[in-house]
Amino acid sequence: MSLELLKDILIATVPLLVIFPSLFAFTTWVERKALARIQNRRGPNRVGIPCTRISLFGLGQPAADGIKMIFKEDIVPRGADRLFHLLAPILALIPAMVVLCFLPLEFPFWNDQIKAMRAFAMDGAVIFFFAITGLGTLAVFMAGWASRNKYSLLGGMRAIAQMISYEIPLVLSAVIVVMMVGSLDATEIVKKQADWQWFVFTPWGLMAFIIFFIAALAETNRSPFDLPEAESEIVAGYFTEYSGFKFALFFLGEYIAMFAISGLAVTLFLGGGNGPGAGLHPQLAPWVPILWFLAKVLVLIVVMIWLRGTLPRLRVDQLMAFSWKFLLPLSILNIIVAGFAWHAVQKASTGVQAAIWVACLVIYYTAAKGLDNLTRGKVQPREYKYAE
Amino acid sequence: MSQEVTFWILSTVAVVGALFAVRLRNLVHGVFSLLVFFAALAGLFLLLMAEFIAAVQVLVYIGAVGILLLFAIMLTERVTGDDARRVGSRGWFWGLAAAIAVFVVFLLPAIQQTDLPKTAQPVESSIEKLGKQLMDPYAVTLEVLALLLTAALIGAVANAQGAKPKEEDSK
Repeated sequence: MSLELLKDILIATVPLLVIFPSLFAFTTWVERKALARIQNRRGPNRVGIPCTRISLFGLGQPAADGIKMIFKEDIVPRGADRLFHLLAPILALIPAMVVLCFLPLEFPFWNDQIKAMRAFAMDGAVIFFFAITGLGTLAVFMAGWASRNKYSLLGGMRAIAQMISYEIPLVLSAVIVVMMVGSLDATEIVKKQADWQWFVFTPWGLMAFIIFFIAALAETNRSPFDLPEAESEIVAGYFTEYSGFKFALFFLGEYIAMFAISGLAVTLFLGGGNGPGAGLHPQLAPWVPILWFLAKVLVLIVVMIWLRGTLPRLRVDQLMAFSWKFLLPLSILNIIVAGFAWHAVQKASTGVQAAIWVACLVIYYTAAKGLDNLTRGKVQPREYKYAE
Repeated sequence: MSQEVTFWILSTVAVVGALFAVRLRNLVHGVFSLLVFFAALAGLFLLLMAEFIAAVQVLVYIGAVGILLLFAIMLTERVTGDDARRVGSRGWFWGLAAAIAVFVVFLLPAIQQTDLPKTAQPVESSIEKLGKQLMDPYAVTLEVLALLLTAALIGAVANAQGAKPKEEDSK
């Protein structure tokens, strides 16, 4: 292992390991603040700069939380599988971190002599992304099983069922972008979306983005799909028996996974690092796309937080029905429509193009309405057998 | 040099994982060591510069098969995984004999006949080549397979749509 290689590896990975965990700290603060405002509270507003009275809207809260987490007692239940109980939080964090490498982020070094670095430049980035995000499920299951607690186990089983179901619409909606670009390379996908040609601005792209975003919420266990950790039903789900730093690792892994999947959504649909001024200033050139990228990721995260504060949690049967009977047929239909419409749009005049777009939107609307009617008629209001 | 070291590490992990998968008494531990074996295999594919196969290995074997196995265990009564019952392995001699026979009769001639390259050569954009191969000579097969799988998927969903609430549920 030469020194040169070591330096390259460090340049490629250190920015990822610094930027995303710091964003995580910031996001926890944003989330607590935003949820508090939605619930008519103030949220954290005490911790600021230590030893002064400056509170900075509670911005010091993440640091205080982190210190608290480290010093908390690490409790392992007597019946737990000690090895798996230890491995699960680590395994939860690894895939989320690895997956960040596949995002089309090029971190520039301080001068131009060393070119901008990316951890992985491979032409199958999108496939790899989906392959590795799936591993997070195993960690959740491992945690649930190793705790030897029925609530944990239920949470783990729910997580597996949910993640299998929502992975299909997730991948099928990403297929549309791959179809239009003709490449699985993340950089290529971003290049194709230069000059405001973002895929979200086409009807099929918009549809795919909506499906992708919903499925991404479910994949990262975000509300309204946070059944694996539903605190009103199964205490805290798979991490009921976790405390201290292991719990913090789960927390971190979950947020990093959120960043990663939002990053993929930005890459696929929202034009990646493209934006006003992305290619303007040669000196700042590498930085502007990164800032755009992170800004778009943060916008998606804020939408996730907003949804968490707004929507009630789904029931298990609703969750399954929504994925299999609604999102899946819709995403298959979307692939067919996109295939036809994209070829029709290529050589058509502006008027015909507009007509095709409107036709696509009408098809989507009727399909969604029809599927909704099909499903809705059969879902009965819940009957309580054991409680009155 | 470093490639060789990586190869030996990965192979050791693979073999140990496979051994544990067979020998461990606890079902869930067994599944996870099988997954370790799969992961090591994916690493070996990466070492051979076959990124696509590595990705598919992770996607299909760890992501789908592994989770399916875990799911199946969860549906059985031995959900905790510990099983005091000992599985009799009286046929181990014949098993070993069969394994050696398969190796000598099938694998050894195949290994001897193929001309193995000394180092791994990166294939230029392997995914693109694979896609072109699939779409050009094998387009019809691919389309038929895709149609079959989609039909199966839609059929499953259509079945689920028509499911009526059972008698027990409505009681």
